[in-house]
Amino acid sequence: MRAIKGVLLTCDSAVKQILLTMNEKDPFVIEDLDDYHLVIKADEEYRVRRELEAELEKNTYSLETN
Amino acid sequence: MEKASHLSVIVDLSPTQWHLSAQTSNQYPLSIETFLSQLLAFLNAHIASKHENSLVVFGALPGKSVLLYSSTELLSDDAPSLDANSYLPFKLVDSTVVQRIMNEFDAIGELEEEPPCALVGAVTKALCYINRITHPSSTMPGVAEDPSIVHDPRILILSVSPDLSSSYIPIMNAIFSAQKLKVTIDVCKVYGPDTVFLQQAAHLTNGSYIYLERRDALLQYLIMSFLSPTSIRKILAVPKQDKIDFRAACFCHKNIVDIGFVCSVCLSSTHYLYCFVTKF
Amino acid sequence: MPVQSLQNTDVIVPQHAPHPLLPFLQSQSQTTLTRLYQRPSSCLSIFRLLGPIERQLIMNLLWLESALSVATMSAWVLPEGKNAYDSALTVMTGLHIAPNSTVKLALNPTFKSSLRQAITGGGNTGSFGVPTDKDGKRQSANIENLDAYALERWETILHYMVSSGQGQNPTKPSQGVLYLLQRSGLMNNAHGAALQITSSGFQFLLHSPHDQLWNLLLQYLHMAEERQMDLVEVLSFLFMLSTMDLGREYSTEPLSETQKAMLEDLRDYGLVWQRKTSSKRFSPTRLATTLTSSSPPLPSSHSTGGSRTADGTGAVALSSGAAQQGFIVLETNYRIYAYTDNPLQTAVLNLFITMKYRFPNLVVGMLTRESVRKALGNGISADQIISYLTTHAHPQMRKNNPLLPVTVQDQIRLWELERNRLKSAEGYLYKDFASQADYEYVLAYAKQLDVVLWENAAKRCFFGTLEGHANVRGFIERRTGSV
Repeated sequence: MRAIKGVLLTCDSAVKQILLTMNEKDPFVIEDLDDYHLVIKADEEYRVRRELEAELEKNTYSLETN
Repeated sequence: MEKASHLSVIVDLSPTQWHLSAQTSNQYPLSIETFLSQLLAFLNAHIASKHENSLVVFGALPGKSVLLYSSTELLSDDAPSLDANSYLPFKLVDSTVVQRIMNEFDAIGELEEEPPCALVGAVTKALCYINRITHPSSTMPGVAEDPSIVHDPRILILSVSPDLSSSYIPIMNAIFSAQKLKVTIDVCKVYGPDTVFLQQAAHLTNGSYIYLERRDALLQYLIMSFLSPTSIRKILAVPKQDKIDFRAACFCHKNIVDIGFVCSVCLSSTHYLYCFVTKF
Repeated sequence: MPVQSLQNTDVIVPQHAPHPLLPFLQSQSQTTLTRLYQRPSSCLSIFRLLGPIERQLIMNLLWLESALSVATMSAWVLPEGKNAYDSALTVMTGLHIAPNSTVKLALNPTFKSSLRQAITGGGNTGSFGVPTDKDGKRQSANIENLDAYALERWETILHYMVSSGQGQNPTKPSQGVLYLLQRSGLMNNAHGAALQITSSGFQFLLHSPHDQLWNLLLQYLHMAEERQMDLVEVLSFLFMLSTMDLGREYSTEPLSETQKAMLEDLRDYGLVWQRKTSSKRFSPTRLATTLTSSSPPLPSSHSTGGSRTADGTGAVALSSGAAQQGFIVLETNYRIYAYTDNPLQTAVLNLFITMKYRFPNLVVGMLTRESVRKALGNGISADQIISYLTTHAHPQMRKNNPLLPVTVQDQIRLWELERNRLKSAEGYLYKDFASQADYEYVLAYAKQLDVVLWENAAKRCFFGTLEGHANVRGFIERRTGSV
């Protein structure tokens, strides 16, 4: 039996897939639990959040109105 | 914060009846002075409850009804002096009401035959007042969630006179207007026999009718039964009378009848109830 | 994670929320409160701060000479009101207004006699403030001057908060006020030099003037305790101010030393006006007289219409002309038109709106994703933005039902939800259990401690919180030790 320290992430499936893709470049996931949960390394949380936000920003567009 | 509530108090000031009430032959004699001091404490309690509570007091005198005090307009020019031991709004109510009642009594003087008290006139005026303050005209600059717009108008009638059969129709009209305006009419029968019409008024507007038995405990009755706004009455019940006398007065002679004849043509218009049928 | 569905949320009239001062009062000792109840004006003010059920119960008991049995009083309570009744009684016992008893209900004798005195007038505590005669030589302040003074003081404070990080140099409020702002966590000097507004400061700006005022006063009361000021004196002075008449002058003679010292602080907040520091008279402003009411404490600060009636008594303020006028028009294309020239209101709007144009009486802006996200990042919530827009909506907007366009409301909330797509929790992942029974046993223990965040019976693992780890580990070690 093992106890691993980490951070439990709860999110929707789309975000989880984005996180897994990010994981391939720079590993941080300890375990993939189910469709909505991930366990990642504790000290990586801040970096992951920042990169996720940057990734999601790419999907938003705003009209440049005068 | 919860909304402000409005109270219109109508005081029956029939001199004859008050004279009779103060007689020591009664089980609990109640003179008008004692009555007024307890009433003033009750009025102060209403204003104390919330800064925005509004109050208006009407007096029903023989032949006329007068506005004694209104919290929205300053009526008397001589404002009472400020002192360190009392709260100015209380002092204002107390002195204005007492002063004006004394003025009215002086003005009555000696009368051969006392005309009946204009209780219904006072009720009508109270309803007009409530209509004015609950529906501010649209020409005034609109305000968002103004806490001083009242949501729970109530009328409290303190009655000492018996029923006046000629006032049946005006009272019923007043009751219908009160229902439209969502006004609750409470009645406290301080002295005198049970009044059928006022019982119906209280019942139809979801108010409470109290026949005061322990007249020495007037203030406690007033506070427990009539101080709370309608929203609180759903939590703390107020005493009500269950047995309501639903008799009506006929339109031809103004007698109170148990059984009458209804005009078959205009059931719902003015020519409605007769004690006997006239052949036309 | 399923997407939350958004309901059409109109602004619902809230249930009676207890006044923020009440928890503070409940934390005081019984002796302190009894001393406070010796003054009728304090009793009256506290009475007004309570909820409607508490007030009715107090009134019911006020004029009784002997105690009432609990059963008699509860007989009047309707079944659906039982919870409200019980919580009202709890509040009353917490404030030591009614001693805690399951048999009899009575009022604290000091409170009872003081409140009776307040209602009928009497006693000799002078607790409603000693008025002074009109000074023939100098002019006393009239209501308009008092309102202008209070408005200027109050807006200086708020304006300083809003423009702290933006390079402007507004007038600084006094040192005492700055200290108070810092202590209450609304501003801090994170970067050493100047004070910067914090996220709670941003939320504070969007509250109504009443909430703002009581927030600051509560901080002041906490500080008063530390400064060894007599709390009863401070509180009774505040309560006395709330019962005073607007536009009259009162004497400083009967005030205690503590209360005279308070005068300076109260001047800075705009609650009290004095001609000069050494003056023997003072006048309360509308901020002070409306402390225990929900009337607007400040007159409308723009010149667009607004029939301000200077009511003589000031206490019973039914004149709706003195109410705050709305000035914001929000359209379905996310454009905002604010009819104001007040720099404070413009600055507050700038927190969550991208400004486009400014005219002498009009400010035009747009609610954009960036501007709202910037506000959300500063700690303001979507609900606060929506309620601010609703409270200050222009009278023209009242024709719409609902008041604000539903699309815009929903979009603001969606922008808030966007930031919350990812939730995190630190803890430990427990896996690789020897057997199913083992797993279930440990899981049951962890559930008892309420530390389980996620579990999966098929994979035989679960995730527990950081705090619970020590207990769970101890439990497992005891088990493996004993097996």
